[in-house]
Amino acid sequence: MSNKVCTLQEAIAKYVEDGDSISFGGFTTNKKPMAAVREILRQGKKDFIAWAGPAGSDWDMLIGEDRVKAYINCYTADSGVTNVSRRFRKKIEAGQLVYEDYSQDAIMLMLHAASLGLPFLPVRLMIGSGLVDEWGISKEVRKTIDKLTDDKFVYVENPFNPGEKVVALPVPQLDTAIIHVQKASPDGTCILMGDEFHDVDIVVAAKKVIVTCEELVSNEVIRRDPTLTKIPCFAVDAVCEVPYGAYPTQCYGYYDYDNAFLKAYGAASKTEEDFKAFLKEYVYDVKDQAEFLEKIGVNRLLKLKVSDGYGYATDISKEED
Amino acid sequence: MADYTKYTNKEMQAITLAQQITNDNIAIVGTGLPLIGASVAKRLFAPKCNLIVESGLMDCSPIEVPRSVGDLRFMAHCGCQWPNIRFIGFEANEWLHDSTRLIAFIGGAQIDPYGNVNSTCIGDYHAPKTRFTGSGGANGIATFSNTIIMIQHEKRRFMQKIDYITSPGWIDGPGGREKVGLPGNRGPQAVVTDRGILKFDEKTKRMYLAGYYETSSPEDIIENTGFDLDVSRAVKLDPPSPEVIKMIREEIDPGQAFIQVPKEEPAN
Repeated sequence: MSNKVCTLQEAIAKYVEDGDSISFGGFTTNKKPMAAVREILRQGKKDFIAWAGPAGSDWDMLIGEDRVKAYINCYTADSGVTNVSRRFRKKIEAGQLVYEDYSQDAIMLMLHAASLGLPFLPVRLMIGSGLVDEWGISKEVRKTIDKLTDDKFVYVENPFNPGEKVVALPVPQLDTAIIHVQKASPDGTCILMGDEFHDVDIVVAAKKVIVTCEELVSNEVIRRDPTLTKIPCFAVDAVCEVPYGAYPTQCYGYYDYDNAFLKAYGAASKTEEDFKAFLKEYVYDVKDQAEFLEKIGVNRLLKLKVSDGYGYATDISKEED
Repeated sequence: MADYTKYTNKEMQAITLAQQITNDNIAIVGTGLPLIGASVAKRLFAPKCNLIVESGLMDCSPIEVPRSVGDLRFMAHCGCQWPNIRFIGFEANEWLHDSTRLIAFIGGAQIDPYGNVNSTCIGDYHAPKTRFTGSGGANGIATFSNTIIMIQHEKRRFMQKIDYITSPGWIDGPGGREKVGLPGNRGPQAVVTDRGILKFDEKTKRMYLAGYYETSSPEDIIENTGFDLDVSRAVKLDPPSPEVIKMIREEIDPGQAFIQVPKEEPAN
């Protein structure tokens, strides 16, 4: 067992490369590896093939900074905060983003198929919709991007049910996966609490895996209850202890989202100018996560602490009876 | 003293959504109005129904209003935290098992007479005037489940031809779904707007007006619909009881996350 602990700067420098086919864990405003995203922004990494899944301001910031070569979309919004992520919207409306749309079900199954090592994936999804009628990225453009297949999908006949038309989807080859977890040990074993979303799928599927964690615990302690560990040590390349690494999104058992911060981003990202100023203030002018948390402030973070028995931050002082 | 005899069209819309859920249903809800509606149903009309969300959280009973389908508010107090792929498999298997328990609520920006819904873009897909989030779970839901569509009743949204089909409805009428390869025995059941409720004719699969709120009228609805609409079967819907309005404002959405309580002069 090797020790994989390193700083977030080291992990991003070593395991995130320009042009990577990359996916993040989490779900819109829940358990997104936001500290890692900010570090990617700071290090200037770019040209990603983004397997975004249910995305929010994580990918919106990278899109706004032109770091994305091809964006594979199913949903992009800080759900309940913005109707649609603003940079994503603006770049598409301005013709400045290469994007493809699949349904969320299709993308989640594609990432799962990647974890299973399948050659392709037959589904009954997207039929009769714009998702098959329109290709965001044409065959000609796809041919110039070697990490994308030439076809968005292909109709095939179900070999076991002659006459049934199904949609064959390509299975992504992921270079890099980044997830945020509650606990990890130096060898890379991870405890995930709450819904795992597609986090385990992308970890199994990707060649390079970075885990940021709320707490680093010993290799011995993390093995005390294997019903809690969802990722074995050898599936991980780098372990970074990054408390509040999902902030401003949620982290089950630890903290709620900071709705005011998400709202502030939502407002700032409406214009190029305000977006740039927001990123300057909260990303580029901040050295690392420690300095970022200093800037956010301890009282703001304390307010997000989840209430015991609830799983989110709530004011139980007002409870009646 | 709060007056619960006055209500808004949005509250009426939530209650109309709630009335579409029965005790046998497993309701696929999102956030916003469908969740408010489902919460009303669970407390009043269909206490035995189960709520699930597309992120994979099964049998949810949120106490506080969640903002996202992956919100901790859904995760806490749910029966089981499945990852999203299990939800997708469950949905498909319900269809394979010929079970009709699932009823799903989806929204959109545009809708056509056959209940096809657009939540992707306004204008050309490749150079849109306005771009939205994209499908999310809606396409898969509209593929395998019966749906209730929730949309604001405006002429620019109720269109003869929509700009993009994100969630397929009855496609172009009878046999339309089978023709393109979709399950033919699933599809949109009703459209609930801020003016009334529309259903689909069994023979033609075209939308018709089934009911209107007391703040609206068949004429008002025709005026705000961008295609020919049969209103001959429309009935005026009963106003909600003050008890339901009180429940929404005081118990279900006290923070007014999704339904604003007007300070003065409610819609009626």
